[in-house]
Amino acid sequence: LPGTQPTALAHCNVDCTSENTDCVVVKKRLVKLVVNFLFYFKTDEEEPLGALLLEQCRVEREDSQVFSIAFLDEAERKYLFECDSEEQCVEWIDSIIKASYEFMRKNLIFYRTEIHRLTGKDPLEQYGILDETRFQVSNGLPLMPKDTSSM
Amino acid sequence: MKLHEKILTHYLSCTSPVDKEGYLYKKKERNASYQRRWFVLKANLLFYQERPADRHLLGVIVLEGCAVRSSEFDGQFTFSLVFQGPGLKTYRFAAEDRQTQESWVKALLSASHCYLSLLVRDLGKQYEEAKQQQSSGESRPGSSASAQPGKGHSQSLTLLHPGALLPTQELRPAGREGRAFSASYALHAPSIPTKVVNKKSPKLWPKRNAHVTPINGPAPLYGEWPLVGLDPLEEFSKLHDYYGQEVKQVRDEWLRSRQAQEEHRNKDLIDLG
Repeated sequence: LPGTQPTALAHCNVDCTSENTDCVVVKKRLVKLVVNFLFYFKTDEEEPLGALLLEQCRVEREDSQVFSIAFLDEAERKYLFECDSEEQCVEWIDSIIKASYEFMRKNLIFYRTEIHRLTGKDPLEQYGILDETRFQVSNGLPLMPKDTSSM
Repeated sequence: MKLHEKILTHYLSCTSPVDKEGYLYKKKERNASYQRRWFVLKANLLFYQERPADRHLLGVIVLEGCAVRSSEFDGQFTFSLVFQGPGLKTYRFAAEDRQTQESWVKALLSASHCYLSLLVRDLGKQYEEAKQQQSSGESRPGSSASAQPGKGHSQSLTLLHPGALLPTQELRPAGREGRAFSASYALHAPSIPTKVVNKKSPKLWPKRNAHVTPINGPAPLYGEWPLVGLDPLEEFSKLHDYYGQEVKQVRDEWLRSRQAQEEHRNKDLIDLG
């Protein structure tokens, strides 16, 4: 899985400071996905050069072996990543999307609602985290058709 | 290490849910005094700044691989985030009262990405079982199979208490099912609040629609989740305070200690030491 093994990718950095705005700097970096961060290293170094938080971003396939991550901040900066193969590219996109905390939270809320609907029980009860804000159904998601007021 | 601040500050200010916020006293490392700071807990990140309205972020703590310990010391309602490992430190806080202290501790215990990931996996399994029960005609609410998820299933379920770090995940070799989530649960970004634009950014790309949709479709089932951060051989530098005039290095280090896990699972929250 791409998330467990550091994989060497080419990293194309669009924040190019050259006067020529067509110039795009391509750097080879080791990229590691750790929880919801993407760390990148110079291939032979131990310390990461930087880390990108993978929240509020859009991951897109740009080419057969290239994907991009666009961050929805003011600058809407975009980073391109070229992989060694098409397969790897697909895996990375998948992993990055699923690494997002917000993505996981939404899935959790979905499961919680569904399980409650199907079984009449709140699955979070056994974990003692029923009333934690972070797992509340009303947190930004469309509500289920059934009544979920018990949550 | 460069931590892309704009991405962090954007996440802090965007409309994704805030899990907890409020004033706390943060202990300074050097002179052991406390400073009042405004804390915002979002996802697995604990942001802090001087005041709520501040645009200037003082720091962010990534809540992975740490123990949350609470204690009452000298009449103060203190708690700490303990990161173990070389070069890692402990963050100490004090709350105004016991209720605040307990509330924060509870929120921090369930904040890690790792915890959520396992929780989602467990619930995913329960969901599949509940669906199967339904379709096979056993649709009695509260049927025993779904109410006792810990029995006869992957061992990760029984260890899933807030604050526990699990040793390894054993994914059941589950094939991907054809059934997918409805599109309403797809990842989408809320509208971007208008902010002062950074003059420096080159804006090489045209502005796009802010909505984010996963191109791979909805979430798959358990067994497909990436094993991020649970490789016992991995180590990560930990993220420390970064912002502010005292520029500190922010590093993230992943904790891989079975001993720590046992400790977390069994120890009392109240540490009178």
